[in-house]
This record gives sequence, structure tokens and C-alpha cells, in this order.
Amino acid sequence: MKKKLVSVFMVVFLITALFAGCGQTDDTTDTSTEDTSTDDTSTQDTSTEDTSTDDTSTEENGAYTGELSLMHFSTSEESEGNGGSDGFRTMVTEWDEANPDITLVQNVLANDDYKTQIATLAAADDLPDVFLLQGMNTRAWAEQGLVMDMTEIINSSPYNDQYDHSFFFPFTYNDSIYGLPVLTGGTTTVVVYDQAIWQEAGYDTFPETWDEVMEADAFFEEQGMDTIAFGNSGKWQANSCFLSAVGNRFTGNDWFYSMVDKSGAAFTDQEFVDSLQFTQDIFTSGVFNPDFNAINNEDARELFIAGDASAFIGGNWDVSYIQSVLEGTEMYDTTKFAVIPQPAGADATTRTHAIGMGFAVAINSKLADNPEKLAAAIDLAYKVTGPDFAEYVGANYALGGLTKVDNVDLSNFDQFTVDFYNYSYVDNKACEIYDSYISSAVWDVLNTDLQMMLNGDIDPQTVAENAQASYEANY
Amino acid sequence: MLNSIRPKNRVIFAYLLIPVAIYVFAVFVPLVTAGYYSFFEWQGGPNKSFIGIENFKTLMNDEIFWMSFQHNIFLVIACIIGQIGLALLFVLMINSKLVKFKGIHRTFGFFPSTIAAVAIGFIWTMVFDYRRGILNWILEFIGQEEHTKVWLNEPDLVMLLIAIPLIWQFIGYFMIILLSAISSIDKSIIEVSEIDGANAVQRAIYIIIPLIKNTLLVCVTLCVAGNMKAFDHIFVMTTGGPGNASMVMALYGYKVSFMQQNMGYGSAISIGIFVLSLLVIGAFQLVTKVLSSDKEVV
Amino acid sequence: MKTIQTKLLAIFLNVTLGIFSLSCIFPLVWMFYSSLKQKRDFNANIMGLPENPSFENYVRILTNADYHIFESVLNSVRTTVLSIVLIIFLGFIVGYILSRVRFRGNRILYVMFLMGLLIPIHSLLVPIYVVFRATNLGNKWFTLIIPYVAFGLPIAIFLVEGYVKSIPVSLEEAANIDGSSFTSTLFRIILPICKPILVTIGIIQTFATWNEFSFALVLIRDQRLQTVPLAMTQFTGQFSSDYTKIMAAMLITMSPIIVFYFVFSKQIIKGMVAGAIKG
Repeated sequence: MKKKLVSVFMVVFLITALFAGCGQTDDTTDTSTEDTSTDDTSTQDTSTEDTSTDDTSTEENGAYTGELSLMHFSTSEESEGNGGSDGFRTMVTEWDEANPDITLVQNVLANDDYKTQIATLAAADDLPDVFLLQGMNTRAWAEQGLVMDMTEIINSSPYNDQYDHSFFFPFTYNDSIYGLPVLTGGTTTVVVYDQAIWQEAGYDTFPETWDEVMEADAFFEEQGMDTIAFGNSGKWQANSCFLSAVGNRFTGNDWFYSMVDKSGAAFTDQEFVDSLQFTQDIFTSGVFNPDFNAINNEDARELFIAGDASAFIGGNWDVSYIQSVLEGTEMYDTTKFAVIPQPAGADATTRTHAIGMGFAVAINSKLADNPEKLAAAIDLAYKVTGPDFAEYVGANYALGGLTKVDNVDLSNFDQFTVDFYNYSYVDNKACEIYDSYISSAVWDVLNTDLQMMLNGDIDPQTVAENAQASYEANY
Repeated sequence: MLNSIRPKNRVIFAYLLIPVAIYVFAVFVPLVTAGYYSFFEWQGGPNKSFIGIENFKTLMNDEIFWMSFQHNIFLVIACIIGQIGLALLFVLMINSKLVKFKGIHRTFGFFPSTIAAVAIGFIWTMVFDYRRGILNWILEFIGQEEHTKVWLNEPDLVMLLIAIPLIWQFIGYFMIILLSAISSIDKSIIEVSEIDGANAVQRAIYIIIPLIKNTLLVCVTLCVAGNMKAFDHIFVMTTGGPGNASMVMALYGYKVSFMQQNMGYGSAISIGIFVLSLLVIGAFQLVTKVLSSDKEVV
Repeated sequence: MKTIQTKLLAIFLNVTLGIFSLSCIFPLVWMFYSSLKQKRDFNANIMGLPENPSFENYVRILTNADYHIFESVLNSVRTTVLSIVLIIFLGFIVGYILSRVRFRGNRILYVMFLMGLLIPIHSLLVPIYVVFRATNLGNKWFTLIIPYVAFGLPIAIFLVEGYVKSIPVSLEEAANIDGSSFTSTLFRIILPICKPILVTIGIIQTFATWNEFSFALVLIRDQRLQTVPLAMTQFTGQFSSDYTKIMAAMLITMSPIIVFYFVFSKQIIKGMVAGAIKG
């Protein structure tokens, strides 16, 4: 009896599941408009915000009705810790509501999955209409003719004179620009430290040279703490969050621009090898936590938060997280920011940190065949990178986007946010983020070697040679 | 099979049509396509340039690839001993009269293979964690603190460490397969051998194992095939690191195709994996045929 | 003397198996009590029991429409059930034929199916995407069933083939003498005998299909057609992973399978262990 009941239940369940599926249309038009409207973003603002862009948008979009596909990685989970993603989602929602005749089909994936998926689509020549392009893929995809040349689009943008043009550089190839830098421009190399503890070690602010850091290391070791926490299990962290700045201190800006332009610089140039040597020395010196290659940046920043490390090196995404966790605690008031200290022997630049925008809104080159659809895509691109976005993230997060907005009112923000804003945009000099440029093939080789180098298992000269070989083969 | 029983050709054809068609479409055609791509220099996108066997020449000289191959062979051997060996042992133990809670052991044992590799990788990464992991905690507990390490950062140990979750997860998997094979052995054979005075070990070696030989062979094939293309665990735990110390072939193919955007070469790597797997399985089957005295019944 | 030996052996066997089984179930237990923690508590103490257990993670996930959990569970159930049925049915037929019937191309087919086991999935992502797009079969409710069946067939075929080899031919001969046709012998006599291995295949493939991720990522674009592993990608942001929420989500999405497995484990085991052949 019981058996029969169970089997009946199962059959009913299965049949329901079958029909639930069959009932779905594979017609993709009516899908994601519902997805976007479930976001509880500020719908009241749309009317006031839209007036500024009103004239251009209604004229251009009045002509197009149909689908527009957008792919990105600002999931709702992501937006909770990341102001740029939150701003992006908000702008997309506003645009979607302002254009009811256009069906915006969104495909949102987490960052790692996004990269796999977009690479697959690029390989199959089936990219969505609008998507996010990573700096290091620009050259390859532009050569393949996959992404649209947006130089003219950018020049005729209503916000052109407000754009910070230095951000376009990673997305430029052969003097054409292939994307509108999107999300927020943040630093990828910042030292976050607890001023209170460092004062006990004898430093009012974070040391300016690594020699001083090493001296303080003895003090922290007695306390049972790590001096600096760092996580490199993903292999990219050592490149993005450390080498981009340290390399710059040894080589200066011109070296890297020459690498990007292929005008003579090489990884095997002495200054760069010196920076590698220094990096190896400092990581094998014990200043960092011993498991830096086995944990990622998220674990590492927890060490700082828990007080197991007196400082942490990471990027702006880490700072957002640290802020959200420490807010309201004592440590919040004593957490400060500093540039990576100067290595001994580095004399090209000082006080530089790597900052930039890693992704840009790009348009599938096939849209050239459909001017009305293209116009809609352009309008969307303008919206998510324009002043609306910049004002939103500025007012809510004290972050900056592509479009400069004057008078960012810092008075609304607490000391922590103001300090970080000043660190990122005011007090220090900018240099480029290495992996926004060149190619993923080269960085993959370098990053893998770097991980071994930090263990002391391979020497810097070999690392440079391997990277150079990959550079010559793939770029 | 006697000719009188054998069905007509068109009956066979009818039965095989649908499965073979599905298979060819979803497996064969993509495989051939991947093979096709391997003859090109291709960075993704619509432009490819034909370069003949250049990719394969590169492959033959690719140190990282051959190192990964060694790692895969290590996994294969470790897993044949670990997964199948232990599974067989456990199944025989469970069958013993002395063991209680047989149902629980079978049910629980299979459970890890139902969990996604991501979860398994995460759990074991925690076990090996430097600060919070169980392994270091145990070492401290028994007073061996100087042996605590950052386990997953040790190039010499990392392959061994990765093999452990792999083995652990699939013991239950093979247990279930072997269980159903053993259960199909006629009980009377076993009873007779007991009456004849054979003890448990003798029964196992001389009666049970030979009778499930075919299933064991299939298990070995599955194990080898699975480990030649091992990917998920390693991806989650170390991504092939530190450096390339735990790199395996499938992960290398993925890196080249998707992280280095070199799809032509990545396809060549896949063909390489495929050919090597065929060779390794062929070798194993040859060895087992030579070792066993049975002929195959076709 | 013998009883002490036996007793020691009994203890050893039970303890060993006990440790093994406990270690197998522990992850589930750990995931559950960890999901009752918040992110910070979890990071502070990974192994320990939660100090303030709460179901907040579950509530947040289940009430957030963005995550479309129930939809993805239905998608997964539908895809998995249909795939398993086909794998078992087709795998049985092909496995039997390859094992028993001599015909031209038997070996070739065998090797062909073997190849399916050897190919790393990632190398086929782009080709399979291209093939499905060219035939316009991608992004539909039945799309994933095709590769899941295709990749699930080899294991089923080999397991059936190995199993059938140990069935004495005399069975089919007797049936033939009794006037039974090939089809009728296949389904009325052989099929019941193969029940144990078919149940095994069903169990193995259910989990493999349910957890499959890579093909789903590549072949499904429509968020409403996402299967469970794909829907879970919503939980991981670029730089932050809320492990406690991920585990809560994993448990929610695994619960149909887990419930199914534990409730029916008795029947399943019975099914596998039954069916001894009388010689």
C-alpha cells in the first residue's frame, strides 16, 4: 500500500515537472524584461534622471523595436559588495524602463563563468549585441573583426568632453577605440593597514620603504602576527595587485607603453627583471603570510580584519568588502591606506599605484548592418557609462567612472571613504594595470611562473624569458 | 551466439539507429570538429589560418603537456589502487557476516560521489588549509607541529594531496558497481565453498574476484578514462598550481583554449589527450588479457 | 581462541567502515551547520558549530526572485529524468547487442563508444556550441538532454556489456527454443536479470546529469531554462563568495536528490542486490 502511494506520488511529480517544462516557450522575447523589473532599484529617479538624456534617446530609439541582447557579470550578489556593479545594474534597469518598445535580453553570469562563456561565443562568432570587453582581448578580437570600431561613436557622444580619456587606452588598437570603459575605475594596488598597531611598532604612517617594513617585521613576529597579508592562489593577484606598481617603480611608464605598442621594450629588459628579483626577494623574506600562494585575496583580507595581520595588499574590491565588514568597529577608524613602499634600487617613479578600468562596453560589429538597432545599442552604451552612472556611484559610493563629474560632495561620506577617495584619485600618481593590456596568453604564462618564483622555485631571469617568448609568439 | 537466436540484420540496425545517431551528433561530430580546429592557428573569432600539423609539432615538444601527462598517469595508478582497490575491499568487508549496519555503509559510502566536484574541492582545500585545516590541527594535536605546512603550496606533495579527495569521492561509486556485480553471483556457489572449508579471504580471491572479472575490467577502464581527463577537483583546489606542479592535461587544454585564447592549439591538446587515453587504456586491457587466462566470450 | 580473533576482526572491520562512512557523510553535516552561520562567523571559525544558528540564508535565497531557484529545480528535474530514462533504455539495448551479437562493425561501434569516455569535456565546448547553433537546437527545453544522453551512453553500455557477459547463453537458447523472438527475449527475460546494473547506472547517471555544468553554461542562454548548477552561478560575485549562502543554496538545490536518494535507498539497494541468477 505504502509502496503504491509512493509510486503514484512520484509519477504525479514527474509528470508535473515534465509539463512545467513543456509549457515554457522557447521563444526568447518575453523573458528577461521580468528579470530586470524584480530589482528593487530606484524607479522613482528615472523620470528626473532621464530628462538630461531625453532628447537624444527618444529620437534615436523611437525607430527601433525589437530585441537587444546584453551580457555582463554584475550579478545581484556581486552588486551587494561592489558599487560599480550596483550602478551598472541600476543604469541598465533605468534604460530598460525608458525604452519599453525595446526588449532587452540580459544574460548575467558570475565573472569567471562570464569569461568562459564570452570566449566561447567569440570563438563561435556569436557574440551578443552588447557585452563587456576585457582590455587584454581587445587586440585579438579587433583583428578578428568581432568588435565594432567605436571611435566615431565616442567622438559624437554627448558626454565626450567629460570623459577621462586616459581610460580608453587599453581598448585602443591601431588608433581605433573599441569600447567605452565601464564600471568604476579603481586602484588595484593599495596597502590597507591598521594605523594603531603600526604606531606601536614605531610608525605613524605606513613606511615608505621596504627596508623599514622589514624592520617592523621583527616587531610583528613577536606579537604573533603576519606583517602583510596577501593571497595569490588565483595567480592573478601577484600581477594585478603587486607587480603592476612595483614594476612601474623600476621601469617607469614609458617601458610599459613601449610594450603595449611593441616599440622595442621587452620583458627581459634589466629594469623589469630587477623588479621581478625584488618581488621574489620580498616574498621569500617572510614579511608576508606563509600561505600566500594557497589562499586567495578574500581569505587574506580576512586575516587583516581578524587582526592576524597588521596590513593587507589588494585592490579596490577588497577595500569595499573591508569597509562593509569593519564599519562601526574600532578598527574602522584606525584603518588607513598607503601606496606600496618603494623598493630599494627602484628609481624610475615613486608613489605610483595601478588604476584603470578593466572592462569596456563593446558592440558586436554585426550591428553595422542594422542602423536602428545600432543606435539603440549606442544609446545603452552611453547611458551605462555616462554622467548618470558617474553621479550615482559618486553620490552613493564615492567612486569614479568614465565620465568625470565635478564637485563630488565628499561631506556626506565618512573618513574611511574620504581617505580612500583621496588615495585613489588625489594623493598619488597613476600607472597602468598590466593585465588590462597585451594578451591573456602572455599573462597566463607570466602569472603561472610568478607563482613558482614567489616560492623561490624559479629565477626571475627565466620568468622574464618565458614571458618574452610568449609575448613574441602571441602578441 | 547461435545463428538461430541471432536476430536479422535489419532488427539490429533498427535498435541501434537512435542511440548511435544521438551519439554521433552530440559526441562524434564535435570531436571531429575539434580535430579539424587543431590544424589551424586560431585565436577565436571568424578568422582561422591553416597551419597543418604545426600545432602537433608544438605539442610534441611542449614540456608542460608531457609533465601534465605524467601527473595524469600518477592519478590513474593512484586511483586504480585507491578507488577500485579500496572499493573492492570495502565491499567484501561489508559482505562479511561480522559487519553491522551494512545498509548505512553502502548508502553513506556512495554519498560523496553525488556532490559536485566544486564542493568536494572546497571541502578538501579547507582540510589542507594552513591555519584552519584539519590536517595541521591533527599534527599540532599529536605534537608534530614542525611538520605543519602550507600543504597545497608544496610542489612535490601537491599531486599526492589532490589524489586523496579524488580517491575518497569515488570509492562509493565503484562500491556500488561492484556490489551489483557481486550480488549477481549465485549464492549456492558461495555456500558450497564455505562447506568445503574455504575461509573469507580464500573465497574472495578464488571465487568472487574471478566471477566479477568482467565488471572489474569495466571499472578499470572507467577509472583510467576518468583520470586521464581529470579536471574539476584540480581546477577548484589549485588550478594546476603552484606554478604547474599539479597541472593535468585537461586543465592545460582549458588554460590554452580559454585563458590564453589559443583555440587551435587547445584543440590539438584535446586530440593529444584523446590519443594518449586510447593508448593507455589499450595498454591496460592488453595487460589484463595477458595476466588472465580466460578467453573472452563474444 | 577463535572467538577472540573473530571479535577483534569484527571490531576492526566495523571501525574501519565506520570511519569511512562517517567521513562520507560529514561534508553534508558540515555544509548544513555552516549554512546556518553568517559569512563572518564562518570565516572566523570554519569547522566549529554556529554560535547563533539562523535560517537567514535560506530565507533570503528563497524569497529572492532573481535567483529563480524553483524554476531551475524544475528544469533540472525534467532534464535529468528524461535523460536517465533514455540512457538506461538505450544503454541496455546497445550494451546487450554489442555483448552478444556478432556483426560487422561490432568492434568499431565498441571503440566509438569508448571514445566518448575519453574526451575531456572542455575541448568540446566550442565545437558543440557551433553544432547546436547551426542546427538551431540550442537554448531549448530539451537541448541538454541530447549531450547528456550521448555522454551518458558509453558508461551505461560498458556496464551492461560487462554484466551481460556473465549471463549464460543457455538462457537465451532456452527461450528461443520456447519460441520467443529476439525482442521478447530481450525485454522479458534479459531485462529483469539486468535490473541490478540498470539501477546502478540510473543512480550514477542521475547525479552526473544533475550536477553537470559546462554544457549547460555553453548551450543555455535563456535564464528561464537554466539548470540548477547554472542558476547557482548567481551566488558568486567577481571578488566575493559568500560561502554560507552558497552552501545554503547548494543544499536547497541538492535536497530533491538527497531526499530521493535516502528515501529510496532501501529499495535501491534491494534492487541492486536482488536478482541472483539460478544456474
